[in-house]
Amino acid sequence: MQNRQAMRTRKWNQWRDRLFSLLGLSVTTLGVVVLLALLVDVFMDGFARLDFDFLTHFPSRRPERAGIYAAWVGTLWIAVLTAAMAFPIGVAAATYLEEYARKNWLTDLIEINIANLAGVPSIIYGLLGLGIFVRWMDLERSILAGGMTLALLVLPIVILSSRESLRTVPSSIREASYALGASKWQTIRNQVLPAAMPGILTGAILAISRALGETAPLITIGALTYVAFLPKNPIGSEFPFFNLDGLMDPFSVLPIQIFNWVSRPQKGFAINAAAAIIVLLFITFVMNGIAVYLRHRSQKKVRW
Amino acid sequence: MTPDKTKALSADPTHAMEKDIAFKVEDLNVYYGEKQALKKIKVDIPTHSVTAIIGPSGCGKSTFLRCLNRMNELLPNFRIEGEIIFDGQNIYDKNVDVIDVRQRIGMVFQKPNPFPKSIYENVAYGLRIQGIKKRDLLDNIVEMSLKKAAIWDEVKDRLAHPALALSGGQQQRLCIARALAVEPEVLLLDEPTSAIDPIATGRIEELLRELVKSYTIVMVTHNMQQAARVSGSTAYFLLGELIEFDETSKIFTNPGDRRTEDYITGRFG
Repeated sequence: MQNRQAMRTRKWNQWRDRLFSLLGLSVTTLGVVVLLALLVDVFMDGFARLDFDFLTHFPSRRPERAGIYAAWVGTLWIAVLTAAMAFPIGVAAATYLEEYARKNWLTDLIEINIANLAGVPSIIYGLLGLGIFVRWMDLERSILAGGMTLALLVLPIVILSSRESLRTVPSSIREASYALGASKWQTIRNQVLPAAMPGILTGAILAISRALGETAPLITIGALTYVAFLPKNPIGSEFPFFNLDGLMDPFSVLPIQIFNWVSRPQKGFAINAAAAIIVLLFITFVMNGIAVYLRHRSQKKVRW
Repeated sequence: MTPDKTKALSADPTHAMEKDIAFKVEDLNVYYGEKQALKKIKVDIPTHSVTAIIGPSGCGKSTFLRCLNRMNELLPNFRIEGEIIFDGQNIYDKNVDVIDVRQRIGMVFQKPNPFPKSIYENVAYGLRIQGIKKRDLLDNIVEMSLKKAAIWDEVKDRLAHPALALSGGQQQRLCIARALAVEPEVLLLDEPTSAIDPIATGRIEELLRELVKSYTIVMVTHNMQQAARVSGSTAYFLLGELIEFDETSKIFTNPGDRRTEDYITGRFG
């Protein structure tokens, strides 16, 4: 009697297992299929349009002559600038919170705030950038203002992922360092940060690759949709071989260019948009690929 | 470095009588938050000898060991009362530099914890953080330390290899070499063989017998045979109190306290 009951329960459990794995498979397939359909659609529309001219031409009224030169250069500028600001500030903040800050109500408050900030809609950061950088600091619609706005946007994410990574460094490593007479800073600088760095970089790269897809905050601060010039070249031929005048130039980025083209009625611009999407996707995939590689390498190299 | 210290020690007449005592612990109370981990510990730990600290889990052995080089301070809510006199000075005095304490009193941990760097860099780390950069000096000390830790022959051809690729026993001897590289006077070992196999354990015990000729060694151990094999004196801790401290031979053959006897004969623990 009891035996039969057990058999029935086991059968039912097996069936339920199978049902769930089937459900999981179909849901996963659905997600992948939708993504694939999107990719295929974009590639069919835009791939033929991709050529050297497309990458080196400025936008134009005539779709067949228009290119994304200004847009991808702008995206590159913004990426470098965002990384240059968000990375050091984010890592420093995470290091402070994780290693130095005392646990009290103030750090709890900061922690909750950072977690909340990571979830604030990006357009709000655009408004903040408009208010502080564009108007109050009088930076106008410059690359600098755009980079600072996006740096603010990704800062909470960089801080959170850096803290996560710092937390995975085992305390035995810290103890080993302290026991040899290392100071706190020496321990952090020589042991904790290097051990956490692959994780920190992974988080930062993913955050920045997210920022590169952002349109709303940059439109809010007034990035241009039609740019027929490049920011001043940062690499010069005369001493000191670089200049940062380009920081104050107006700019556009790929998502804005795409947004602009998609909203036009002509078929040619829709094709251009598809081609620009491929370029943007390519940049994002490359960055995510680097992040995956770093994570993979660190997992292989270090085993505690 | 070392000659200066010995001179300072013997030149100070008030401590002439204590020259055979490495640590003079007076009325040591330790708290973690509300909980008292050590109660009124009073003990003199001899120099150039292995002192074993035994007792059941949670009795405060590790806490006591970590008091001796101020490693406990890293824990939040840690509070200490009383004195630990080392080289004529309370190491918890305000004007004592904790970095100096930890350089003179090295530590090896339960689980081998080499840095995720090369074998060479592991041993050189303690010197590099002191600002020593000269390559030949570093080479020299690294070789000496690895020799003292009886691991030189096994690693001399692969100093640039990652330390984490070594076996557990080798890692632990590397950790000992790393601790020796900063030329400490005392070596604290927190159950150094509990995470490694019996053969590797034998090698480390052999090494300790060698090292005790030049260092003061204090070792926490769960293994009473080990305490009997390598230590000169033994301290038995129970529930945060020091129950008995005496020569190892006496503790194991004729303990003065009933509780020590119960533990050693395996009635509990």
